[in-house]
Amino acid sequence: MIELKNIEKYYANKGVKSYILRHVSTSIKQGEFVSIMGPSGAGKSTLLNILGMLEEPTYGAYEFMGEDVVSLNERKRIELYRNHIGFVFQAYHLIDEMTVAENIEAPLLYKKVSSAERKSRVADVLDRFNMVAKKDLFPNQLSGGQQQLVGIARALVAQPSIILADEPTGNLQSPQALQIMELFKKLNEEENITIIQVTHSEVNAAYGSRILHLLDGVIKEDLSLQQVI
Amino acid sequence: MFKLNLKIAFRNLLKNRGYAVVNVLGLVFGLTSFLLLLMYINHEQDYDRWDSGLSNVYQVRERHDFFSPDGKQHWQYGIDSKIAGLLKKSIPQFRQVTKVSVLWRNGTAIKIGQSEPILMNDLLEVDSLFFKVFPYKFLKGVQKTAVSEPNTMVLKESAAKKLFGTLDVLGKHVKVLRWSSDEGKTYQVKGLIADPSTPESLSFGAVLHSGEREKDPEGPGSTNYCQVYALAGDQIDTTAVAKAVQKTYIDYKKSTFAALKTSYDDYYKGEMFPGLKVVPLQQVHADPPLSKSWLEKVKPIIGLTVFLLLVSVINFVNLATVQSVQRAKEVGVKKVLGAYKRSLLMQFLLEAAILSSVALVISIALTELLLPVFGRHFEIEMTFWNNSRLWSLMIQLGAVFVVVTLLSGFYPALVLSNCNPVDVLKGTYERGLKGVALRNGLLVLQFVIAVTFIIGIGVMFLQSSYVAHKNPGFEPDRLINIKTSYQEDLAEKIRRVPGVKYVATTTQVMGNVFNVPREITYKSKDYKLNTVTVTMDALQALGTQLVVGRLFSRAYAQDTLNAVVLNEAAAKLLGGHMLGQQYVLKDEGEKHTFQVVGIIKDYHNEGFDKEILPTIYKASSRGGTSSTNNLLIRFENENYQQTISLIEAEWKKKYPDYPMVYTAAESAFQDALKADRRFIEMVTVFSFISVALSLLGLFALAAFVSKRRTKEIAIRKILGASDLQIIRMLNRSFLILVLFANVISWPIAYVLTNKWLSGFAYRIDMPVFPFILATLLSLTVALLTVSLQAKKAAVSDPVNALKYE
Repeated sequence: MIELKNIEKYYANKGVKSYILRHVSTSIKQGEFVSIMGPSGAGKSTLLNILGMLEEPTYGAYEFMGEDVVSLNERKRIELYRNHIGFVFQAYHLIDEMTVAENIEAPLLYKKVSSAERKSRVADVLDRFNMVAKKDLFPNQLSGGQQQLVGIARALVAQPSIILADEPTGNLQSPQALQIMELFKKLNEEENITIIQVTHSEVNAAYGSRILHLLDGVIKEDLSLQQVI
Repeated sequence: MFKLNLKIAFRNLLKNRGYAVVNVLGLVFGLTSFLLLLMYINHEQDYDRWDSGLSNVYQVRERHDFFSPDGKQHWQYGIDSKIAGLLKKSIPQFRQVTKVSVLWRNGTAIKIGQSEPILMNDLLEVDSLFFKVFPYKFLKGVQKTAVSEPNTMVLKESAAKKLFGTLDVLGKHVKVLRWSSDEGKTYQVKGLIADPSTPESLSFGAVLHSGEREKDPEGPGSTNYCQVYALAGDQIDTTAVAKAVQKTYIDYKKSTFAALKTSYDDYYKGEMFPGLKVVPLQQVHADPPLSKSWLEKVKPIIGLTVFLLLVSVINFVNLATVQSVQRAKEVGVKKVLGAYKRSLLMQFLLEAAILSSVALVISIALTELLLPVFGRHFEIEMTFWNNSRLWSLMIQLGAVFVVVTLLSGFYPALVLSNCNPVDVLKGTYERGLKGVALRNGLLVLQFVIAVTFIIGIGVMFLQSSYVAHKNPGFEPDRLINIKTSYQEDLAEKIRRVPGVKYVATTTQVMGNVFNVPREITYKSKDYKLNTVTVTMDALQALGTQLVVGRLFSRAYAQDTLNAVVLNEAAAKLLGGHMLGQQYVLKDEGEKHTFQVVGIIKDYHNEGFDKEILPTIYKASSRGGTSSTNNLLIRFENENYQQTISLIEAEWKKKYPDYPMVYTAAESAFQDALKADRRFIEMVTVFSFISVALSLLGLFALAAFVSKRRTKEIAIRKILGASDLQIIRMLNRSFLILVLFANVISWPIAYVLTNKWLSGFAYRIDMPVFPFILATLLSLTVALLTVSLQAKKAAVSDPVNALKYE
């Protein structure tokens, strides 16, 4: 579903190009669970941002579901966000002024889902995440793990085909982190949702099916975990 | 979606209560003053709109120099009564032409039966065609015949209530005395009309029809002045009518001059030319002759109000963008969730709309509350809810609401909805760095306005205190002016009342000036001088100051014949050293010679905005008019209330049917200063509000900057900066802005105040002090405001700021 060809990203400063990403080419199929790993400054987040169309590559071709999305117009991009992509952030990024239920409902509003269906889908997700009791709380009344659960619930409610997660457990303690990873794995296996996460943790990466090792903007290693096993 | 946005908006407002209150408060100030102005303008535009037929009514104006304040030709509505008949005859477009004269504004006494006389000063004397031109609605009586007979009158509902206490007035008789010595005439009430729903330029409580207006004075030389109104058919060609009117007038003037055997061409030369025109009644109020129109008068206030609204909107924008840092995350998240930019824009506009609608509601309440005060200030009556044009007012308010919302909400909404989600979500959102130049610009603009206001008040205050302490040239205390013509027998009786020092009359006293220009010949040169007729001891009664020579005195027989006193302005105009000199005055072919016996200091008889005219004072009736309505009484001492009641007793004996009305010269003097004082009060209020708003803006901006620089401040503190050094650092950039604003406002304030000052014939030189004061004041308050915020930032714990977000 994702084809990257020769993606480059650099900033030109006084004539000197400083590269973030170089010659990144890869393809990711529907249903894969990919972890992007590497040391700080390797370009992991930039790669994820490019995959999420939040940033544009300086050079290279990117096809998302068979469509060239480099320099896609804003309207089309927003359509992709609405229908295919769910984001999960390290800092959760819930909207502070909305309750749990409202945060989860928000993407459905933009997708123009009918009120009745919105209600049932939100209720469904809340139920699945065991958060029915907390639906009227505001984000700052929840623990970090709970907030991230809401973040994932929000990403899922629109039934995306891919979830992009930038260090989803970076701010969490390990038991909560494991819970989130279990959830990702379940979603990947049961619902065939493609998941791409950036992580520092070998443990987290082990939940996935594939690891992309990035070093100084170049893919050093592309491991399929099934192969390893 | 809308519901959710609304919810978020309210939660946000609640969370940032402080900002919301400041925001709304700022807008309330701006909007309330704007609303008041809007209502005032509506009120003024409402004149003569009470019937659709009035759009076909025209006021006739003639160019002449009779009655004019400076002796020059002006367009006036008091015109030659013969013109009415002339227009009816020669302009077929005019279906009806009516003649109206306003009865002596000092008051007409109405006596009903044996009760005490009531003074009315809004009576008209009309001819029998009045109600054919003005379509008043008759509640009682017959419109066609109400004033067809002599000695009939028609009352307005309000006047009927005032006079009779009932509306059942048809057929009743009242005695009308036009002035104190009038023996009176009995009129029968033949009609009762409804009070019109809008104000009128020709306002009245009752119309009288004595029959005198039916005929014009005979002979080509004699003229009688009155107002003339014409009713035209629908859709007249105004240019063609104007041409015809002017031609008719010139023909008439030529024939009059021919009949009088004088030269038309000699008379109309230079600045003098014949002119007659018609002005639509509905424009009369906006275009009054001889004085500034209301629009001209309120122009500076319109400017002030618009500025104030602008300042409050700027405040709103500044505060809203300050808050945008907090909202950026929400925007970033919403964008990756699939929100269009447009829907985000709408969301933030919605929030601005909520705030401005709250502000509008409070403003309306405040306006309603302030209207009585405001109305007293402008001497008009206005209500909000009972406004005759409530609907149009509502539409205007709607427009104001939309404009304010867009002005104040659009920029912050645009900034927010444009932010890049990556920056926000990564936590590297450059905290509104882009808007800094604009915000600084807005802050400078606010301060320019505020500093200009402060300088303005300073200059106005100095000028008004100069005026208040300026010697008016006469002694206004212990002096009263009874509104009646001078009758020697009454004067003599009053003179005998203990406590009375002088009893006199003059045609020129503050509050009632009747200037008559006369041409004199001195050393074979012609001069036009203002002539004032006085009695022997009028100048003494006024307390004028003698420069050289003597005042009039009964000891000199010549004084009633050919002695005159000049004021200094006149002496200067004629070349100085006038004592003992003689000049010649021609009056209807005869030559009179006058001798100057004394020169007095110029004294003020009008506001300080008007130059004192070169004036001749004479005690003689020869070659001057004694038409006057002043009876001056100077008392021996301050406690003259007792004396007044004694005088009133004398009055009652002579004029039982006409009440005595008097004004203290002191209050007439204060009245002359009133308009300027009002304006100054107004500017002072505006200045305070604008300064307060600017400080709010500064406060918000300082809060914003210290927040944005939290990290920098923390690092500096760790590196060893003291709190004081940090406060100083934060202050520096703001003080530069405020100083810059000062530099800009100096020339602006100079030009504006100079223009205001030039409206005074007697004024101070441009003072430097207000400029320095405004600068010091603005810098001090800015320093205090910013320091307050900076201190908060400076003393905060650096650890909190440096924690990884």
